[in-house]
Amino acid sequence: MNKTAKKPAKKPAAKPVAQPAAATAATPAKIKVATMWLSGCSGCHMSFLDIDERILELVKHVDILFSPIVDIKVADMPQVDVGIVEGCVNNTDQEHELKLLRERCKVLIALGDCAVTGNIPSLRNQFKLDDVLSRAYEQTESTKIPIIPHDPVVPPLRPKAQPLQEVVKVDLHIPGCPPDADTIWFALTELLAGRVPQLNEKNMRYD
Amino acid sequence: MSTPKQITVTIDGKTCTGTAGQTILEIASAHGIVIPTLCYLKGLSSWGGCRICIVEIKGSPKVVPSCATPAMDGAEIITNSDRLIQLRKCTLELLFSERNHLCPMCPYNKGDCGLQHQGLAHGITGIRYQYLYPAMPIDLTAKYFGLDQNRCILCTRCVRTCDEIEGVHTLDVANRGIRNQIVVDLNATFGASDTCTSCGACVANCPTGALFDKAAAFRGPLASCQTVLTTCTECPVGCGLKVFTKENRIVNVFGDPDSPVNKGHLCVKGRYETWADARERITQPLVRGADGQLHPATWPAAIQRIKDTLAQSPDWETGLLVSPRLTNEAVQTVRKLADKFDRVAAFVAPYEAALCGQPEYAAPDSLQRLDEADAIIVLGARPSEDHGVVAARIRRAVRQRGAKLLIFHARKSGLDRYANICANVVSLERSFWKQVAETLADAQRPVLVYGPQAMSPIGVTVLERLLKSFEDKKEGTGPAVIPLPRSANSLGFGAAGLELLEEIGPWLDTKPMSFLCIVASDEPDGGARLLEERYVRPLLSEVDCLVVQAAYRSALTDMAQVVLPAVTWAEKFGTITNFEGRVLPVRPVLAPVGEMRDDQTILESVFA
Repeated sequence: MNKTAKKPAKKPAAKPVAQPAAATAATPAKIKVATMWLSGCSGCHMSFLDIDERILELVKHVDILFSPIVDIKVADMPQVDVGIVEGCVNNTDQEHELKLLRERCKVLIALGDCAVTGNIPSLRNQFKLDDVLSRAYEQTESTKIPIIPHDPVVPPLRPKAQPLQEVVKVDLHIPGCPPDADTIWFALTELLAGRVPQLNEKNMRYD
Repeated sequence: MSTPKQITVTIDGKTCTGTAGQTILEIASAHGIVIPTLCYLKGLSSWGGCRICIVEIKGSPKVVPSCATPAMDGAEIITNSDRLIQLRKCTLELLFSERNHLCPMCPYNKGDCGLQHQGLAHGITGIRYQYLYPAMPIDLTAKYFGLDQNRCILCTRCVRTCDEIEGVHTLDVANRGIRNQIVVDLNATFGASDTCTSCGACVANCPTGALFDKAAAFRGPLASCQTVLTTCTECPVGCGLKVFTKENRIVNVFGDPDSPVNKGHLCVKGRYETWADARERITQPLVRGADGQLHPATWPAAIQRIKDTLAQSPDWETGLLVSPRLTNEAVQTVRKLADKFDRVAAFVAPYEAALCGQPEYAAPDSLQRLDEADAIIVLGARPSEDHGVVAARIRRAVRQRGAKLLIFHARKSGLDRYANICANVVSLERSFWKQVAETLADAQRPVLVYGPQAMSPIGVTVLERLLKSFEDKKEGTGPAVIPLPRSANSLGFGAAGLELLEEIGPWLDTKPMSFLCIVASDEPDGGARLLEERYVRPLLSEVDCLVVQAAYRSALTDMAQVVLPAVTWAEKFGTITNFEGRVLPVRPVLAPVGEMRDDQTILESVFA
């Protein structure tokens, strides 16, 4: 984790190398990528890092400018080519963040089941929000002081946890909990080659 | 009967022949053309509800479900146009959006789901509709399976299975439109249902994780399992089992669709009681020590203990009592060793000995006759309790074909509600027999199924009376007679000529027994049912040396001086004879984990 996390941070310093044939036509510059972590378990980011040494190949072609593993504030989110989002939209902060990314990226990818279907965070959608909060903060067996968080700093939950495409336009879905590293690698290389990744039973799964 | 008209259709440019009345799907699959399906299942009636199997017919603006549309002579059919693929994708996306189809936390074995498979095959990554996230109930009240409405796609395979295969119609569809859902009885739960037989056929046929087996949940996809075909030894019907195993554990047990006996259907005994119950296995020999407690011992030590005891007292009265669940091969070993004992017998159900003593009455087409019968008389047997698959055949005959059903039994049974006449065999009046004769008046293909209780004095009277009433009839033939014992391999035992005991009390009491070896084999209760008989417990406690050979711990093994661990049905190898007289193979499914040995090996190593 540490080893791979350092690499993208180092990369902007390295001088741009000649693009191989795989890169998008007429863009000698690297593809700019942002990754975002909303309501998810970070498993999809882990699976992304599971592409192992292929990440060295990847960083030859892309710059990761915004990510949970890049030290940057949301307000400073740069314009990017590809935005990759893990997790569903659960609170108002995440909604704001996602909409900002949508404005600042050309292609938005929903990565993993939470981003695609809502998955586990969406289980609460079957209940009223008040009941969910009450159960979590007032009724659990371990509760000592029952207080529902109400500080304005804590972003309020939206009435429903929703997958990305119900909030913004999504250009590509990669389902899976998490998607296999191979699936992520396939999708990214296809994009780098300027093609729309065709996912089917051979290279994706839902679970 | 005229031969059905041959028709020719063109499917995707390929010329295909079939018979008039065949559906487009049937002709296509006969010619190797794959049309995706979800609600269709071979062996059930067509429903046409899921609309995945839609096809285009040239000249018609509509698309039609191929599973429910008979092919017309000369029709040109297209199964894979862009329009069809788009429509199928839309349908799948709507199915995904309607309920909470969250694959990562589905108890169903991942990779076996029909909806998941179709979604992946159609390349559905995300859906264009809003997810509804409805709050759906989950029914976990059944002992062996659960119904999770969140994952239901309303294909009604379960409803059709319950109605057409098991014949009880416990499941049905309630409400309209978006509130459509599967209900048990009149919106009850499985636990409260008095019609559900827990046969689990609905679970086996559910394409998603809506109906799931509790014991199989989260145990991996069946596609990744090894399968073994074997025979159920829980009752004398001898159903074929298809056992899925992984890492030497059973993942699930389904009916063998190619078995001539059950044709893929099972009852609760075969489907679940064979493996889904928690029972305490005996994994190594136990010997009672000086402190009066049973202690683990090695095989040589346990065998030596028995041999020493026998050698010390050569004039002891010795006995061997075996369970009727033994394989034919183990029965041969028992016969071979019979002269080593003063008395040898097998314990069977009350009045069953007379039934098993007549293996010549077994007919290999008994179940076929039930399928064709227009009147079924059940005398002294309780198929719904003892032979679920036979009961299902009887219900189907009654409910689908209107066959008459007459039941004579001293105890109530689950079949009573389907019967035209249901009588207690101890009180039958003259006017009643007139009614029986009237009911059977038009019967052309009557079948008489009789069980152990038919051999009781009153049962024999009723049996003779029934047979006479057929003789009295001027027209029609006598009934096909099917003996239906209760104990698993009782026919194999009858054929081997072993003494069959209905009551072991008198057998033990005739001459006090000093040494007794009881082969309980894999009796689910470890042989404890023997103790239920009056006086047996005190009589057994008088036996100087009691040896019990059993797979499961029980009150009986707790009484023994020496306990020898036996294998279960899943570890046995051999054959059994079913009630039709068929000799069916029992194949090992698992490798024994522990020091268990099979019944004949134990007997030979101890007594030979």
